[in-house]
Amino acid sequence: MCGIVGYFNKTGAENPPLGKILLCMLNALACRGPDSAGVALFGTPRTNQLIARVKLGNNGGSAERTRKIESLARRFGAQEFAQNGAYLRFTFQENSDLTPFLSSIESAAPDVEVVSVGRRLEIVKQVGSPSRLEQSFCISGFQGGHGIGHTRLSTESVVDLSHSQPFWGHGYSDLAIVHNGHITNYHQLRRRYQEHGVRFYTENDSEVVAIFLADKLRQGVTLRAALESMITDLDGSFSCLVATESALALVKDPFSFKPLLYTETPGFVAVATEEIAIRAAIPGDYNVREAQAKEVQVWQR
Amino acid sequence: MAEIDAAGRSTREVNAAIRKLIAEAGTDITVLNPGARHNLAVAILSGVRIRIAGSAGYYCGGLGDGASIEIEGSAGWGLAESMLSGTIRVHGGAGSGTAAALRNGTVVVHGDAAARLGVSMKGGEVIVAGNCGYMAGFMAQKGTLIVCGDAGEAFADSMYATVCYVGGKIASLGTDAVLSPMDPGDSERLDATLSAYLPAELRRTKPAAADFKKVVAGRKLWNFDNREWRIWREAL
Repeated sequence: MCGIVGYFNKTGAENPPLGKILLCMLNALACRGPDSAGVALFGTPRTNQLIARVKLGNNGGSAERTRKIESLARRFGAQEFAQNGAYLRFTFQENSDLTPFLSSIESAAPDVEVVSVGRRLEIVKQVGSPSRLEQSFCISGFQGGHGIGHTRLSTESVVDLSHSQPFWGHGYSDLAIVHNGHITNYHQLRRRYQEHGVRFYTENDSEVVAIFLADKLRQGVTLRAALESMITDLDGSFSCLVATESALALVKDPFSFKPLLYTETPGFVAVATEEIAIRAAIPGDYNVREAQAKEVQVWQR
Repeated sequence: MAEIDAAGRSTREVNAAIRKLIAEAGTDITVLNPGARHNLAVAILSGVRIRIAGSAGYYCGGLGDGASIEIEGSAGWGLAESMLSGTIRVHGGAGSGTAAALRNGTVVVHGDAAARLGVSMKGGEVIVAGNCGYMAGFMAQKGTLIVCGDAGEAFADSMYATVCYVGGKIASLGTDAVLSPMDPGDSERLDATLSAYLPAELRRTKPAAADFKKVVAGRKLWNFDNREWRIWREAL
């Protein structure tokens, strides 16, 4: 099961009600998986600054730990600190290589994890249903051009914040994925990346999708080509949505094991595991079609 | 004609209202605001006409026997699954597993059908005006499967006695699926079926019946012969 959703506004407007649309879609799919819920939201881009969202720890962290992370972050020009639940959010100086920043912040404690970094991207996820996500983070007030969301039925790994989706393409700014399905050659791929020093934060097979795409994009491969290589290199079932700073994309496995439907109008693109989510969130007259096996779609701003 | 507004009602309530109207009045029924919800008009066992004024979710019209259902939007997975008789028409596209295990009756899709169209169908007619996804007709046993557009990979894999017609390109034929020449009888029957079920404006844009490709079982898998182990190994 699991439910995934995506929305992409084509008009270029700065303030579409992104959070409200994604939340409405996720609520319609909540019965597909109540274990955890999350969204990757792309708001107004920052200039020369990146937004970081840091998980303070498995138990939400402590005041002392927050202070420690803040002082580490200040070395990278961090400001605008705000804590909400298990997250510390702040902005810092843009840098093409995030490695020093990530290793510094994550040196604070073994259970500290940088959940997302981007000029626009903010990932908010936690254990529980989509309605709980709204109670904790008021995501319905978030405005932005595009984003993706996930509601999880856990099948192969534990239920906690880190194992929730969306996953950030760790180390590659503004890249987020949601995945419905099961990657069966995940251990093999994971070992290959680990040999190259990549750190995995979870036992969740979906994490490798984000790492795979980050690796491809870092090599200079286009987003479309990276998604096409998923079809040959990943085994198992996957209906995936991918969001970058300027694009929303979908890819489906060769067997079409999992549903994924989308609509494209002159004004917007909406994608979801079930049409019921799109109809619930966006009124109007439009056609919805199911993506075929091996289908790749990229909507670029 | 009676109307049922699905907004604010559970699917169970909507389906109960459909059954109540059939029992009491037997009139045509329109379901308003279907919102692509699942299991609409499932197992309707009478010849009533039902119009779904929008999209339907999974399994719409499944297990039905005799109803005539028209979906004005698109349909999700398992449309008309195991239908015994009746007609289902969807104006948009249809999801995976459309007309799977169809027993009889007619399923018409004006748009595209996704993967596994008409798998294991045991009779009836499936007509897709657009394209279909991969593995359509897998292990289909009887009936007719018509795709006016292109067919996906592994088309008509491991079939028994279903007859398939494809107006466009076939990405690849499945195991034991073979092309068979169209004879005048085929063209005549196909033309009559398409004319009967597709609206004229849709029919006009599709290939002429004589230009369709006919696909049937090569019958190599019908009986096991251990001298043909290689064919079996490939199929299994």
